[in-house]
Amino acid sequence: MDSFQAVLIAQTIVNGILLGTMYGMAAIGLSLIFGTMRIVFIAQGSVLVFFAYLCFWLFKLAGIDPYLSIIIIIPGAMVLGAVLYYGLFKEAAALQDRISSLLIAVGLMFILENFMTVVWTPNPRSVVTSYGFASFTVLGIHLTLNRLLGLGIAILATIGVFLFLKKTVIGTAVRATSEDVEASTLMGINPNRVNAVAFAIGMALAAISGINVASTYSFDPVYGFDVAIKALFALTLGGIGTIYGALAGGIIIGLVEMLGAYFVGGGWTQAILFAFFLVALTFRPQGFFGRTGQKA
Amino acid sequence: MAKSPSFIGSLKPAGPESLTNLVIIVLALVFFGTFLFYTDIDSIIVFYLFYCFIFIIIGQGWNIVAGYTGQISLGSHAFFGIGAYTTAIIWLRDITHTWYFFDPLVMFLSGLAAAVFAVIIGIPILSRLRGDYFSFATLAAAQVFTVLVLRGGKLTEGAMGLRIPGTLFEDLGIYYWTGLLLAILATAAVFFVTRSRLGLALRAISEDEMSAASHGISVLRYKLIAFAIGAFIIGVGGNLYAYYIFSISPPAVLNLNWLFYPILVCILGGNGTIGGPVIGGFVVGAIVVFSETLIGRVHPMVSGVLIILVMKFLPTGLIGLKAKVFQRH
Amino acid sequence: MANPLLEVKDLDVSYGDIHVLWDVSLSVEEGTIVALVGANGAGKTTLLKTVSGLMHARKGEITLSGEPIQHLRAQEIVDRGVIHVPEGRRLFASLTVMENLRLGAYLPRTRPLFAESLERVFSLFPVLKDRKEQKAGTLSGGEQQMLAIGRAVMAHPRLVMLDEPSLGLSPILVKTIFQLISTLNEQKTTILLVEQNVNQALKIAHQAYVLKNGKIVMCGRGCDLLVNEEVCKAYIGERARKPNG
Repeated sequence: MDSFQAVLIAQTIVNGILLGTMYGMAAIGLSLIFGTMRIVFIAQGSVLVFFAYLCFWLFKLAGIDPYLSIIIIIPGAMVLGAVLYYGLFKEAAALQDRISSLLIAVGLMFILENFMTVVWTPNPRSVVTSYGFASFTVLGIHLTLNRLLGLGIAILATIGVFLFLKKTVIGTAVRATSEDVEASTLMGINPNRVNAVAFAIGMALAAISGINVASTYSFDPVYGFDVAIKALFALTLGGIGTIYGALAGGIIIGLVEMLGAYFVGGGWTQAILFAFFLVALTFRPQGFFGRTGQKA
Repeated sequence: MAKSPSFIGSLKPAGPESLTNLVIIVLALVFFGTFLFYTDIDSIIVFYLFYCFIFIIIGQGWNIVAGYTGQISLGSHAFFGIGAYTTAIIWLRDITHTWYFFDPLVMFLSGLAAAVFAVIIGIPILSRLRGDYFSFATLAAAQVFTVLVLRGGKLTEGAMGLRIPGTLFEDLGIYYWTGLLLAILATAAVFFVTRSRLGLALRAISEDEMSAASHGISVLRYKLIAFAIGAFIIGVGGNLYAYYIFSISPPAVLNLNWLFYPILVCILGGNGTIGGPVIGGFVVGAIVVFSETLIGRVHPMVSGVLIILVMKFLPTGLIGLKAKVFQRH
Repeated sequence: MANPLLEVKDLDVSYGDIHVLWDVSLSVEEGTIVALVGANGAGKTTLLKTVSGLMHARKGEITLSGEPIQHLRAQEIVDRGVIHVPEGRRLFASLTVMENLRLGAYLPRTRPLFAESLERVFSLFPVLKDRKEQKAGTLSGGEQQMLAIGRAVMAHPRLVMLDEPSLGLSPILVKTIFQLISTLNEQKTTILLVEQNVNQALKIAHQAYVLKNGKIVMCGRGCDLLVNEEVCKAYIGERARKPNG
């Protein structure tokens, strides 16, 4: 292997990791929502794209820098999460009824996708800032500023969620509820409160990923489902119920996708990805980082 | 996990309620059996009913797995696509030497191809995974199949897809009759399966897998059989649809709508019941056909709103309405 | 006479169509240990779940110091100081001992008392102090039961309802746990104890009720029921007759 090829592969790996952190963020959100409520929130990806659009329009119409718009979008996302929970998922979460909660999420996905398609057209969009594509070359690997910023924000957000779950009382309550709803009720924990918090954080993470997508990649209304499936797989691979597992799962998916495209060619990426997922799942049903015997 | 299935009316011992059901079934059969004799065959109603029949067929195929074994399959679109592609490939290569639509042999082969695929993916998936993991794995398998079709070269013609010559098309009548017959057969198949030893074993498995296994029920075998029968039925649905759209391509027969339609049909109608998917089929048919004709491309939004409303206010499906009404006093 | 701390009157509870409790009445006086005994499936756990608001009664009344609580949600009942330690302990296995205790004092009412309660728990169960940072799932059975009770103490309870605290413990640990329950009671905590280990339960109980097929069939002072051979034979079963420790 010559050095040119080695650099290309290294470049692919770096790109895979960067893409994977985006899936990982979405997967952490899914993991929190699934953990506390047993809801497979398949609309996560569409919500993510919705936030990407918000970021796009804030930039285009109001000239607000995408990274600055985090300040506006994240609180909005958290409110949206709480509203979605109380408005749509409260009953299904109480019954732990997975089919109906899955279907509500599907309904939401249909609505969002079509709303975005009709109102904002199916054309792909991206946010192009003056500085975003400023690039560095480190050891021959090409990096752009927006990708680095995206990675930095993703890492900060993950640490933030981790500290929240570990250090705050409500965060501890979220973890307790993921483990045993009834027992946490007996502690006086209001499950609705905890679920709404989990939803709010999940949406905030979707918003962060959405902003990263908007400023790094191009997106269209139906891109969300693709992200949702990959996040779901990331979460499953990582082992349901762990934060770092979800992130690692996302990075694995990102790497498989990028390396698959490099070695085998773009058209086969999806097949490789899903086949990899199937094989991995069949041999390690509890995921790579999950505890054995974990309920799922 | 799955709620214990309620078999409203259909599995209860003979009584006034089952008599009512019998009357409803007979009336429905007479109505649909004679419908074409007093309706304009080109009317949108016939077109609507044809769609309903497809939805009932694929709904029943999903029902047998989800409603009776509690496993939520997210791979229906692959089975549907396999059915459609098998039909097109047999037709174009003239494998069965038939020159008419709706050849029963082709239908059977289309279902069989889907069932074979179900067994191939089912052995590893069903033996090792359950619950949500099973669902995700079926989705992954279906997506792999989609890519295989896209990259299938001459056999599938990739994203372009295959075309069945539409020259033999005369009117919707034959579609109506075939659809009706297949919908009845699919419903009857689910009915007889649930009443057989297989159905009993499936119910035991969905209630408590461990205990079923300890009573000597071969869990994997029964789950696999149910999965294959469900795939067969959905594959036949794909066959029917292939004859209707002529142009068989991934966006047409492998899109995710075919994943969600069967689930919608079952859940809206009432999961784990015989009649649920029938009711659900008519409702979903109405949503799809009429909102498409009336408001064009916005229709998935309407479906989205309706799904959410039904799930929020009627989580047991429309068939649960009956129980609700009777419970009032 | 003042109202008893907890009073249950004519309680009917069912799971769907299955009637579990029929006209159950009992009362728990402040500062006492009340034992509720009976065979498996008699409805003991259902009674506790109904009191703690996890289930709701069809009919009947539950009052806490004279105030009806049967319509309240579980967290409101916890807030009134009724703490249910469920069967099988139900600790949060992946959380540390300290985190479990912190959740015991989740409600705002109990938070100012946190340091004081923690000290009380550690003096009752010194072993928990050593295991503070350990995951609850890695504790031994006895330690887990101590943590479960400790978690209840953190909530600054008026009434602790213990469901089968001796379940799955070795005889020597059973003894320790019962001693701890007595100690807790001496520190002015009222206790409603559900047990299948009838002998031990009746020994420490001031008052006891026998539940059979969802109905209260006998009540009396713990020691009276203990010596009542007929009670043992008819309602409690084989185990009680053999003194076991």
